[in-house]
Amino acid sequence: MGANPAENHPISFRWLTKAKEKGGKIVSVDPRFTRTSSMADIYAPLRSGTDIPFMGGMIKHALDNNLYHKEYVAKYTNASFIVKDSFTFEDGLFSGYDESKRAYDKTKWAWETAEDGKPVKDETLQHPRSVFQLMKKHYSRYDVDTVSKVTGTPKEDLLKVYEAFCETGQVGKSGTIMYAMGTTQHTVGTQNVRAFAIIQMLLGNIGMPGGGINAMRGESNVQGSTDFALLYDTIPGYLTAPKAIPEHATLAAYNAKETPPTGYQSNKPKFVASLLKAWYGPNATAANEFGYQYLPKGNKNYSHINLFKAMYEGTLEGAFLFGTNPVVGGPNAGKEKESLSNLKWLVAVDLWETETSAFWQESAGSNPAKINTEVFFLPACSSYEKEGSISNSGRWMQYRWQAIKPLGESKPDIEIIHELATRIKGLYKNEAGPQAAPINALYWNYGEGHHPDIDLVCKEINGYDVNTGKQVAGFAALKDDGSTCSGNWIYSGFYPEEGKNRSKNRDNKDTGMSNYLNWAFSWPANRRIIYNRASADPSGKPWSKDKAVIWWDDLQAKWVGNDVPDFVPTKAPTDPTGTDPFIMNKDGVGLLYAPTLNDGPFPEHYEPFESPIPNAFSSQELNPAAVVIEGDFNKRGFKADYPIVATTYRVSEHWQSGTMTRNQEWLSELVPHMYIEMSEELAKEKGIKNKDEVIVTSARGEVKAYAMVTKRFKPHKINGKNVHQIGMPWHFGYKGIATGETANRLTPHIGDANTTIPEYKAFLCDVRRA
Amino acid sequence: MVEINLNRRQFLKLSGATAATLAVVELGFDTKKAHAATKEFKIAKSTVTPTICCFCGVGCGILVHTKDNTVVYTEGDPDNPINEGKLCSKGTTIRQLYTSEKRVKKPLYRAPGSNKWVEKDWEWMYETIAKRVKETRDKTFVATENGLTVNKTEAIASLGGAALDNEECYLLAKMMRGLGVTYLEHQARI
Amino acid sequence: MATEYVKFVDVTKCDGCRACMVACKNWNDLPAEPQDFLGSAQSHVKTTADTWNVLQYIEHENSKGGLDYLFRHSACFHCTDAACEKVCPENAISYTEFGTVVIDHEKCVGCGYCVNNCPFEVISLKEYVDKNGDKYRKANKCTMCTDRLEEGLQPACVTTCHTGAMEFGDKAAMIKKAEERVKQIKDRYPNAMVYNPQGVGGTHTVYVLAEKPSVYGLPENPKVPTSAVVWKDYAQPIGKMMIGATTMAVVGAFITNKIFSKKTNGHDEDGGESHE
Repeated sequence: MGANPAENHPISFRWLTKAKEKGGKIVSVDPRFTRTSSMADIYAPLRSGTDIPFMGGMIKHALDNNLYHKEYVAKYTNASFIVKDSFTFEDGLFSGYDESKRAYDKTKWAWETAEDGKPVKDETLQHPRSVFQLMKKHYSRYDVDTVSKVTGTPKEDLLKVYEAFCETGQVGKSGTIMYAMGTTQHTVGTQNVRAFAIIQMLLGNIGMPGGGINAMRGESNVQGSTDFALLYDTIPGYLTAPKAIPEHATLAAYNAKETPPTGYQSNKPKFVASLLKAWYGPNATAANEFGYQYLPKGNKNYSHINLFKAMYEGTLEGAFLFGTNPVVGGPNAGKEKESLSNLKWLVAVDLWETETSAFWQESAGSNPAKINTEVFFLPACSSYEKEGSISNSGRWMQYRWQAIKPLGESKPDIEIIHELATRIKGLYKNEAGPQAAPINALYWNYGEGHHPDIDLVCKEINGYDVNTGKQVAGFAALKDDGSTCSGNWIYSGFYPEEGKNRSKNRDNKDTGMSNYLNWAFSWPANRRIIYNRASADPSGKPWSKDKAVIWWDDLQAKWVGNDVPDFVPTKAPTDPTGTDPFIMNKDGVGLLYAPTLNDGPFPEHYEPFESPIPNAFSSQELNPAAVVIEGDFNKRGFKADYPIVATTYRVSEHWQSGTMTRNQEWLSELVPHMYIEMSEELAKEKGIKNKDEVIVTSARGEVKAYAMVTKRFKPHKINGKNVHQIGMPWHFGYKGIATGETANRLTPHIGDANTTIPEYKAFLCDVRRA
Repeated sequence: MVEINLNRRQFLKLSGATAATLAVVELGFDTKKAHAATKEFKIAKSTVTPTICCFCGVGCGILVHTKDNTVVYTEGDPDNPINEGKLCSKGTTIRQLYTSEKRVKKPLYRAPGSNKWVEKDWEWMYETIAKRVKETRDKTFVATENGLTVNKTEAIASLGGAALDNEECYLLAKMMRGLGVTYLEHQARI
Repeated sequence: MATEYVKFVDVTKCDGCRACMVACKNWNDLPAEPQDFLGSAQSHVKTTADTWNVLQYIEHENSKGGLDYLFRHSACFHCTDAACEKVCPENAISYTEFGTVVIDHEKCVGCGYCVNNCPFEVISLKEYVDKNGDKYRKANKCTMCTDRLEEGLQPACVTTCHTGAMEFGDKAAMIKKAEERVKQIKDRYPNAMVYNPQGVGGTHTVYVLAEKPSVYGLPENPKVPTSAVVWKDYAQPIGKMMIGATTMAVVGAFITNKIFSKKTNGHDEDGGESHE
């Protein structure tokens, strides 16, 4: 659901076909019948942007029919927590909403705590303000008839999916949900994933082999680049990026604010101090808060949409692009292209000339004479012309050896970054003052010569004792007193001793339950299934023999099994916190009710920014906390002009903005043209024949492409009426071998309430013959 | 030194065919131990290096066959438990990342107002970029704000990196934070 | 003769990823060909001289009224009685010890009889230019990676296939597997069948099809044309004795075009025509 693995993650689908051979069932929920659907046991269509009703109906089905895993829910989730009476929900709004700020006061959603700060619970789950009862009440509104009217999914298909998936609530059965950008790229994207989390906790599928909710990562190292915090709001290892707020004014204040008293996160100050030691080396001392003040502190949302808004408004002067092509891949791409000409300088590091690095060319529709942006194109080499590691969707860190010297004068990115860093540092070397201080303090010591010593980088990431230089064995050895460094605590342990890089491990013997513990390294601590304590019952025995991951061994007084325990290895089930599997959460349990999110503790349906129908669940049309950008940068379309729902997607043969694949002949040949998929019914209404050229318009722009008229799209029956939907790949641009117009000229600049991810996957358009 | 066996490759049990077991050192297979082909066989005498696919996040293993300074073949790594030698259309094609005519082989510069790229050497590029970064940074640097030390520039952005190696991501994140960059974003959202 | 092998293609396990198409080009160093938009996900109408296998995409309303999105890896069948081998005037087409059918480019003169007589339309001519600028043609098709078989490796397409839709192995075992598979999937695909046409003596690419052959544009009962048998087994040997091999190609062209007079249908991607 929200993923199309047969097309976009084909080798993941290999394992689904294997599961199918063993009696497993594949369910495909997608607005369009895809290659995944063709292999599925059950296919259910839905209108883009209605995932929460679809899943809300499933939550209700599981609760109404007693299909949930009762002991798991009672012990391993916050179902039993009693919520304060300041929490209310009325007509689509949770309590504490401030319309002028488009934000909630989340303190209204807190749960009752006892004097010791622990939550007040009712393990019978009967208390009317228990999370369980509140959840039941919330989803009682998601009856299958209402859901069907909103999603357009035939009622019998909904029930088929609900029945099949809820079967996995039985002990001994597992179900997984694979999702990708079809789930996240919505104004309710985070809550879509939350809805998955709720059903998976109800069914006891988290921490189980074959369970979980699996984010299908779209890029080879989007996992690693997230872990390493190429993001404005975190620093490596998912530590909060310091902000320009009084609570972050000093390291002590930051630690106090960001460190929970209980749970594994209580160790955070050790990870922060070790990171600062890795970044500022000897310049990080106890006296200067380990260099904490050198870190930049922002005070706004600097994510993709806002970044381009700043560029559009002219406040950005320079930009670096590392293998990214927003003129094809960014939302409202026409505006993103326009924004680029406001830059003074642009550095593009890539294997290919992209639509973005060439935005100033006449062939891009630009007038070069009027664009004053200086553009530096640095040719990078491909992944097998250099060495280094990447982390996959399952957090396996695998090494890539160098197969051949870089082509022509191209260079590895690591060398480019290293050269730029050393040269910029060089320019400040003889300067003092506030600008120079943070750069001069930055510890950059990766060997002599132009190419950095990758082993030195790896050792710093893992961490070592700064006094002895000895590698640390893992993050448990990290200290908050400045005696250890570690560039990313969650990876600590991958390079535990001199010359031993565990990402290079290639022993492919199955060590049990297909965990392959000696193949590569999986952060954290080489464990493969996170929260695997939940695979055993409270007493420490596996819920089922067939699904044994770890279990408590009384004789040895420790957790043993087929995986590295995601738990204190010697903490017995009888310990007061011995039955709290979700160790990264403050209270050790899973959050059915999440009072930490910006748009409410329970997922609630709101229509997309652009929708053809009013919200059937409340009078709130749009997510009240969505990040709305108004004006010329984000024009909004309405049903009268744009009655058709549209979505974008990828195909097996191309990748992302197409830069990598449209420059390769064999892939360009397989999918050579931009096209729009539409139903036979819509084609008939519009007088469009298969292979005709058509024009799709939205409030933001228009795109010309071929029509692919297909039986695999059907109009959605929404409240008794036909609502048409079309879809298109977003891979195309005018550069490369396979060219075509760019789908993202149609998509809006509007963001999810928690992540500001753009709503690419549901917007309005119209279509006509060209 | 890492020993890599290719013995899970799907060899047929044909008379006269030897299931080759190749030893590998870290930087490539030991070609001396590779099976000697009786005639000109496409991957005979090629050097084989394991890599991981550069496309989606599944993490499939791929073997890169190189010979005479080019890539002659790429195929699934039969030893990698993630894909067991299997690949999709994209993974099967990574040979053309090297052989494509479209690869840019030299640094290119476009001056303000110009309608063309000009080839430049790396040295000039590095030096000029470093200067531009410093000019922008110095002009826009904010050391304190409302009495708080903030050490940032909001005039420089860094985008991308989701296809970089971990070690590269680490250095890039470190460099950008070191410069005080707050507009830091990769492809997690797009 | 060594063990006879077949490529077993179970189309009901294929998810249409097209790795087989690229693996073929990668192993055989075949260039890409620019393609027009065909109105579906399919890239090529059919196999060509530079594209030896093509993934078919078929939207099919099944007998239960449901929608099936059917895929088929289409390539040379490597017939046991291969029409192409029968009609080749230069003996450029032959059977290997593995049962595969291969074209010897040294001997091929580009006459095109094989192209015209293949019941499955998988052979194509390619034009080459020699160093003097003269043009010449050769027939091309899937070799079943016979060069890989000789080294004990499986065909490139089979090696890369991730869903288990393709296997390569002992002929009897593969056919048995195919028959068992059909039984398993009869509920889901009532028209499922093993496609191993006996009119051409059986093939070395054996399919489990989800639907009748015509849905995939395949002939229900392909045969080696009687005229081709006459040509190969009688006319050609006698003719060669009488007038010599090279001239025979010219005579052959005349005779073949007359006596086979195969109707040249437009290659609709829906296919459907049956061949006799």
